[in-house]
Amino acid sequence: MRLVDAVFRQGHLSEQALVEAVMTGERPAHLDRCDICAERSVELGRWLDDVRNLGLDAAERAFPAEKLVAQQAQIMRKLEQLDEPPRVIAFPRQMPGAARESGGRRVAPAWLGVAAAAGLVIGVIGGHFTARVSATEHPAQTAVAPTVPTTPATQPVRPAVPATAMPATVTASLIDLDLDNPTPHDLAMLNDYTPTLVGRSNR
Amino acid sequence: MAGDTPPVVSTREADARVAVDVKALQAVGHVDAARERFAELVARHQRRASRIAFHYLRDAADADEAVQDAFVKAYLHIGTFREELPFEVWFTRILINGCLDRLKQRRRREKWIAPPVTDAMGVERDPAEYLPSHAPSPEDHALASERRQQLSVALAKLPERQRVVFMLSHFEGRSSREVSAMMGLNESTVRVHLFRAIRRLRTLLAAGASRSLSGRKNRAAR
Repeated sequence: MRLVDAVFRQGHLSEQALVEAVMTGERPAHLDRCDICAERSVELGRWLDDVRNLGLDAAERAFPAEKLVAQQAQIMRKLEQLDEPPRVIAFPRQMPGAARESGGRRVAPAWLGVAAAAGLVIGVIGGHFTARVSATEHPAQTAVAPTVPTTPATQPVRPAVPATAMPATVTASLIDLDLDNPTPHDLAMLNDYTPTLVGRSNR
Repeated sequence: MAGDTPPVVSTREADARVAVDVKALQAVGHVDAARERFAELVARHQRRASRIAFHYLRDAADADEAVQDAFVKAYLHIGTFREELPFEVWFTRILINGCLDRLKQRRRREKWIAPPVTDAMGVERDPAEYLPSHAPSPEDHALASERRQQLSVALAKLPERQRVVFMLSHFEGRSSREVSAMMGLNESTVRVHLFRAIRRLRTLLAAGASRSLSGRKNRAAR
């Protein structure tokens, strides 16, 4: 027995000594001699057992067997996930500018040459075709042009003279015209041959 | 013949052997085998771990998560396990630290989300306790439930260290030395915590019992 217990507790065990005795199972000799302390220790032991049962019961209710099984399965699943290499979902790696570059690469380079050659051929053929078409259209234009009336409706319409039908003397006189001081005769002649001249300038 | 009988292996030795095996299997990359071996440790310590976490956190769902996290941590860091220390002690330390972190998180959450629910006595209660129970309610069940409730409330009133020391010493039957290793405390400090916890619990439970007794008498008188 400790001196403190002997002096202050009339020789009885302190609460702490009782707790230690009950918890560790090391029974002090005093308990064999003192009925009061023996009874206290029995009562404390009962109380502790009761509390223990209550505590374990509460835990058992909170964690029944099926919940423990589920818990174990969950733990093993988590461990499996840890051990597996992480699955990385492919994320767009290129920026929008880079995407445009990769879009250009989709056409094979050989096709670019083919397209350029095809464009050249089409251009040459188209050029030849339009040249021929325009060549066939021009004679019609020269034939049609003189039919356009150039004189007012009140004046008598003079027949149009085709340029091909113009005599060489007229052409020479037209060339010799003094346009700075023209005479009425000159102007009348010029008027007569204007459609023909227009047709020539168009050609 | 005595020489033919297999040697009796203590739980501590068996745990250490499994832990060392897991460590070795992990090192050579046999993770499936390592997991299978580790499952033995889980099966052996799961129930006890759940009890500790439940009494520490006083919430079954929280305790469940804490136990799962503790086992995952133990598996990840099994390389740091040393055979000198029992696996149980090493693992319980991981578990208790995890529970402590959860309690801190919970307190921080409660600060911002909602005030704690308290009963007429000002004791913090789990809101789920106020939900109607689906269990049948004969008087024995009601009484047992009341006593469990009183114990739960009384345990909740204990300071954290006292509660854990009491739980490990009394519910789990650990010696003061083992508890001191699990909690990183002096052995004498553990004994003091244990004594204070018991003294406080007795006072609280006695007060609770007298209150419930007077309550029953009043109900009977009506």
